[in-house]
Amino acid sequence: MPLHVTLGVLCIWSVLPFLWTVQTSVKFTRDVLAREPVLWGYETTANAYRAFWLGDDDINMWGVFAYIAGAGLIAAVLGLVGKRMRRGWPWYCGAGVVLLVAMWRFPKIWETNDEYDFLVNSIVVTVLTMLISLSIGLVAGYGLARYSGISGAVILIVALGFRALPRSAFVLPYFFGATWIDDWLESSGVGTFDFPLIDFPFIDQLQLLDTRLVLVLALVAVNQPFTIWMFRSFFLDVPKELEEAAMMDGATRLQAFRKVIIPVMWPAIIATGLFTMLLAYNEFLFVRVLAPTEWTLPVAIVSLTGGESSRTITEAAAAAVSITLPIVIVIILFQKHLVKGLGAGAVKG
Amino acid sequence: MERKTFWFFTVPSVAVMALLMVVPLATTVWLGFHRLLLRDLKNPTWIGLQNYTDLLTDPEFWTAFRWTMLFVAIVVPIQMVLGLAVALMLDRVVRGRSFYMAALLTPFIVTPVVGSLVYKDLFDRGGLIAWLWQVIFDDPFQITSSNVRYLIVIQAVWAVMPFAMITFFAGLQTLPGEHLEAAAIDGAGFWRNLWHVILPHLRTLVLFVGLISVMDMYRIYDQVFVWTGNRFTDAHTLQVYNVRIATAFDIGRLGKGNAMAVLTVIGILVVLIPFLYRSYKDQISERT
Repeated sequence: MPLHVTLGVLCIWSVLPFLWTVQTSVKFTRDVLAREPVLWGYETTANAYRAFWLGDDDINMWGVFAYIAGAGLIAAVLGLVGKRMRRGWPWYCGAGVVLLVAMWRFPKIWETNDEYDFLVNSIVVTVLTMLISLSIGLVAGYGLARYSGISGAVILIVALGFRALPRSAFVLPYFFGATWIDDWLESSGVGTFDFPLIDFPFIDQLQLLDTRLVLVLALVAVNQPFTIWMFRSFFLDVPKELEEAAMMDGATRLQAFRKVIIPVMWPAIIATGLFTMLLAYNEFLFVRVLAPTEWTLPVAIVSLTGGESSRTITEAAAAAVSITLPIVIVIILFQKHLVKGLGAGAVKG
Repeated sequence: MERKTFWFFTVPSVAVMALLMVVPLATTVWLGFHRLLLRDLKNPTWIGLQNYTDLLTDPEFWTAFRWTMLFVAIVVPIQMVLGLAVALMLDRVVRGRSFYMAALLTPFIVTPVVGSLVYKDLFDRGGLIAWLWQVIFDDPFQITSSNVRYLIVIQAVWAVMPFAMITFFAGLQTLPGEHLEAAAIDGAGFWRNLWHVILPHLRTLVLFVGLISVMDMYRIYDQVFVWTGNRFTDAHTLQVYNVRIATAFDIGRLGKGNAMAVLTVIGILVVLIPFLYRSYKDQISERT
């Protein structure tokens, strides 16, 4: 019993700031700034959320809520069906498409603020980083787990060293390099060159700084060491005999890798993917330095609470809740994988 | 696996790391020897070691250095002891374990800047703790340059403790039951058990968590930036100081910033090289 009490107190310590923020975000400003905090019985409102995300002041928030809840529900149902099916991926893709369409239609129905673009930036950067980082990390992890030459050991150790270096050692040269490339693009005319046959819509001028691309590149790079170590330790658990049997039957190594190894690696891919997602979604310094206007959500929320912003306390709270909600949902869905991944990464060193 | 196949599999990843980590690091070292201003990025001029002498005679650098060392020395042991204690508690409860785990892991999962912001809100005007303070001491609570350091430490422990907890918890799951039973038959109490059975079993994990958290706290940026902004520069850690001198609007000195980054890297390598050497030996012995 004392055990449960202690743990309970620690849990409250852990989540108290979030609970406080959630209730701040649904209050009126006068209740928040009252001399005595109004802890219950206050009037609730979604004004702060509306002010943060939407441009118009008289939008009915119930409609917005119903839209989001509806899209989420359809996606959840599709996902659950996919889980029951033997071939789940068409259903998962369907769920993804539903969410994508919902996000794409949203600004056409309601007028949105810049913050909506930052949300889109966050999602695009996170998804692209995950896709690139996981695919090149997966093959490299496999190679490193199965090769016994010295060069494998050297790559692993150098990567481990990189993993420990501070961000500032990378962000400043990235910034310098990106400026340098942009200057070259501009002065050589490549950036504004009208490519025959390929006409990029929405792009007037190619550049690197202040784009999502530079964020994705930077995040993929700094995430690579972690990814290859993680995948390597998972591949070491997969017995060699598995692919050797397939290769005896005439498959090439690449075919064996695709048909035999990948299917048993899904838990590892999900666990590593979760960490990559957290890294990309949470990144602050890279975005702040490399993308002065193409923000993602963490930078947006910090600059909002700075001195010169006219945003109120309740809006900042609403922003904090909105940015936290997506990851909390993903983590709850995959909690088992996350805990297992943390354990696996650690226990094997 | 043959050498050719190995390179076929690893070349994309190695290319990314070479191009986007090795080359930038070399650039950092090179730029550290140059005068380079943010508003005039096209003309780096070679000035030798002057950036380094500038830094080492800058009192703000030494403030940041001392504060960072103090910060690491306080936060790392506290969060590890706390993490181990919570892991031991979690190991004993069965009912409600996943609920406790989910709640305790939250600070670790949320965006670091958001974690600091919501924590800061408790102490700001209209916050719960600021109000309690007012009630108890009859004195309005304000974040000042003298107490912001304490707040940063408390919040850092709050944010990183879950990592130690979950790692130690995973380690405890692999502890063979018969060891504890044997100790119980010998009549060992909790503390003797901890000292003679549990800690030796967790030894490598303690090292691992210690190393990771020393490095993470040494290079902390996001949280400290949220607490201090540009106001409480006394509480800036090395990373915040580094980014500030390099990118501050209009006076950003990129050359000096790069020299500072080189110093930070050297600082980390001092801790890291023995460890890297050991892992290299392990890797080699695994292979033969």
